[in-house]
Amino acid sequence: MGFGGEGAGATALAPAVGLRGVTKRYGPVVACAGVDLELMPGEVHGILGENGAGKSTLMKILIGLVQPDEGSIELGGRDVVIHDPQTAAALGIGMVHQHLSLVEALTVWENVLLGDASRFDRSAARRQVMETAEHYGLEIDPDRRVGDLSAGLRQRVELIKCLRRDPKILILDEPTSVLTPGESEQLFTTLRDVVAAEQRAVALVSHKLAEILHATDRITIMRQGRVVERSRTVEATASSLATAMVGRHVNLRSSAAALGVTDLVDDERLRAEREAAAAAAAVAARPVVLDIDRARVVHDGVAVLDDLSIQVRAGEIVGVAGVEGNGQRELGDLLSSLVTLDSGSVVVNGRSARTGRAGCMAELGIGVIPEDRHDSGCVLDLSVAENLVLDRIGSVARLGLVDRKRMRARALELMREFDIQAAGPDAPFGSLSGGNQQRVVLARELGHDPTVLVAAQPTRGLDVGAIEYMSGRLRAAADSGIAVLLVSTELEEILELSDRIVVMSRGRVIGELDRAEATSERLGLLLGGVGDDHDRSRGDAA
Amino acid sequence: MIAVLGVVLASAASAVGDVLSSEAMYQSAMRFAIVLAFAAAGEWVAERAGTLNISIEAMMIGGAYASAVAFGAFDIVPLALLVGVLAGVVVALVQAHLSHQLSIDQFVVGLTLNLFVLGLALFLDSKWEAVTSVVKPTRLPVLHDIPVVGEALFGQPWPMYLIVPVVPLAWWLVFRTRWGLEIRSVGDNPQSADVSGIHVNRRRRESIMVAGAFAGLGGGVLVLGQISIAGYESGHVGLKGIIAIAAVIFGGWTLRGTLMGCVLFGYFFALQQTLPVLGYRINAQLAASLPYLVALLVTAVFATRTRQPRALAQPFVRGLT
Ligand SMILES: Nc1ncnc2c1ncn2[C@@H]1O[C@H](COP(=O)(O)OP(=O)(O)O)[C@@H](O)[C@H]1O
Ligand SMILES: [Mg+2]
Repeated sequence: MGFGGEGAGATALAPAVGLRGVTKRYGPVVACAGVDLELMPGEVHGILGENGAGKSTLMKILIGLVQPDEGSIELGGRDVVIHDPQTAAALGIGMVHQHLSLVEALTVWENVLLGDASRFDRSAARRQVMETAEHYGLEIDPDRRVGDLSAGLRQRVELIKCLRRDPKILILDEPTSVLTPGESEQLFTTLRDVVAAEQRAVALVSHKLAEILHATDRITIMRQGRVVERSRTVEATASSLATAMVGRHVNLRSSAAALGVTDLVDDERLRAEREAAAAAAAVAARPVVLDIDRARVVHDGVAVLDDLSIQVRAGEIVGVAGVEGNGQRELGDLLSSLVTLDSGSVVVNGRSARTGRAGCMAELGIGVIPEDRHDSGCVLDLSVAENLVLDRIGSVARLGLVDRKRMRARALELMREFDIQAAGPDAPFGSLSGGNQQRVVLARELGHDPTVLVAAQPTRGLDVGAIEYMSGRLRAAADSGIAVLLVSTELEEILELSDRIVVMSRGRVIGELDRAEATSERLGLLLGGVGDDHDRSRGDAA
Repeated sequence: MIAVLGVVLASAASAVGDVLSSEAMYQSAMRFAIVLAFAAAGEWVAERAGTLNISIEAMMIGGAYASAVAFGAFDIVPLALLVGVLAGVVVALVQAHLSHQLSIDQFVVGLTLNLFVLGLALFLDSKWEAVTSVVKPTRLPVLHDIPVVGEALFGQPWPMYLIVPVVPLAWWLVFRTRWGLEIRSVGDNPQSADVSGIHVNRRRRESIMVAGAFAGLGGGVLVLGQISIAGYESGHVGLKGIIAIAAVIFGGWTLRGTLMGCVLFGYFFALQQTLPVLGYRINAQLAASLPYLVALLVTAVFATRTRQPRALAQPFVRGLT
């Protein structure tokens, strides 16, 4: 009850902004359903929800990128209509976007200046950037080209760009997904400052329990477009949040990675370590199945894969960790036969791939769950059955014609085995939910008994249930003797699944950890080393 | 095609000596380079904002014809040039509105405009002939007596010298103003620019206006600054707008490189004109195709995607990423 009085004091204060009954529909999907939300000055307000809960849509409404179908926005005691980001900026609402608001070809100070109305004055702008940077402890060189900066530093630029305009309301949508653990910690410290000293209202959007618990004052939980719970952070526990977010009771331990609670993974790890060490010894004796040796791919004069060497043994899951944009996509493309090596080799069970030929990797028994299942994994307009046999059309064809009966039979078999929820084998692939689409890809790849399975960001955009299913399948695949290469930017996922972890930065392996020695701290430090590197080179340039 | 080029180059090589010592050659190359530079500077601004503005040709034709008519009517050079600028801007308005407001494909609009304006000028010319006299070259004392290049640099008709303020103006606009910052941002990453509060298509339309003004002026200078030919003739612009686009590509989307491209292409235009004068007999059609052949080769070699504005020729619609 001690909070009662304080709470009353806080509510006496007018909210910085209030959303009332905001609804947004995309066709049949209701992204936001009658959402009420108040952001208070001087508070970090966490907005928690699974992928697809409608968090981003809600924030886009606030910043004017999306117009609501129903509902109103109240700001400073009167209703406002936010047509576009310009209006939002004028009303004092700023947003730190994940990918979308920096121009790579411009310098830091030019980016910071972009979109405001002050006089165009290079030296004044540079000075202001440095002042803002210093004020918030966000060191940056104003003359660097943004395209040359790491993801962490780019976000710093975003933050400076936003804060320089002195917003009353600051929105951050999944800000830590491009950050190393160290950088995330620093971001939260900055947010504390912004809130405590300057009475701004901050909305922090995340699907990770741990950081919401750690960095916010108040929490709103969304599920399927609705607000399902509101609480003050001090009164919340990890398990109550998890239950509200997923809508059913979840085991925090077994779902730790999906929920984004690493420290629990580490607890588990301590116990599992002894068994793991024994298992690792057994794995170490097995033969190397996938051997990537000094792979080098140069694109536009930049080595996107730079003498990359990774070995995966039978029955082993090797996790490739790294901050996004450090060559992971190219690694996936290489193993999907989409890029040609400039030098180096890919060998599977002693057979060398003739890279550059279509299907060369599949020939060697490499199955790939691609990073973007819409881009390269499946054809949205084809049926589930057609997608399931897409790459082995020969197996269901007779005399060069597709035998539809055999195709449907094969599809039904796979749909049962992988528990794919669809109207039937003839349903268009595009009509399936994300989790079920991913199961189709998985079923197809595991359907031809691969010797190597590459999973690139396999759980991105999935809900907790689908993530758990995926993890179970990958584990089972490894147990059945398949060599599994898991490429992911989610540290929790890497830590939970991998027998061995390699850390990738700028197309190279910069470190390797065994399961027994891997903790989120050590992994974070390795990743952080990358950040330091950037800082150092920046220092030199200055 | 290689063989054709070989023949041309071989004859060109034997003529090198003569050409290098020909004052007329330098004078003519300079004039072509300057005319190209007006259009290329404008095109450069439009391309930095993300539009591959092929109607730059139509803008030049419009400027050339309108200047010629205005000069015939009023006999005042500055006024005639101003009318040329306006004509270029009118063409630009049509291009900008259709491609960056009604979202019609910019190449379709550009091609259509090029054909339409060419035809329109031809039609009007038959009804209402554009008469011009010639602007006498302004010879700067002493300097223009420098051997070989003196005449080229310091003995041009005065409208040619308008290039001296125009090029720095283009640079200043793009690199030293808020507008230019926004221009560069919409050419490279329109989504980011939009989220930052920039009106992407408005800026792109404005950049096309600048291209229209510069190209229109270039067209005016083309008709009023000639030594030998007086007045507008169809085919006078003769795809120089397209060559200006090649110059921007050659220059790797830098203004300095673009100007170097103009000088290169100007040289080949001059070569094609000067060789017969110097007594070399080559097939006229072959000679006439020379600058375009060079442009084709040069763009094939220099068109690297690494340096081009990343959103070049991509239309912008909010919400599409
Ligand atoms: N532009 C769009 N078109 C169609 N559906 C969309 C669009 N944006 C979001 N959605 C849908 O709205 C729902 C909520 O999405 P989003 O707000 O991005 O969720 P979150 O950020 O919580 O992961 C999802 O089902 C998503 O597929
Ligand atoms: Mg989101």
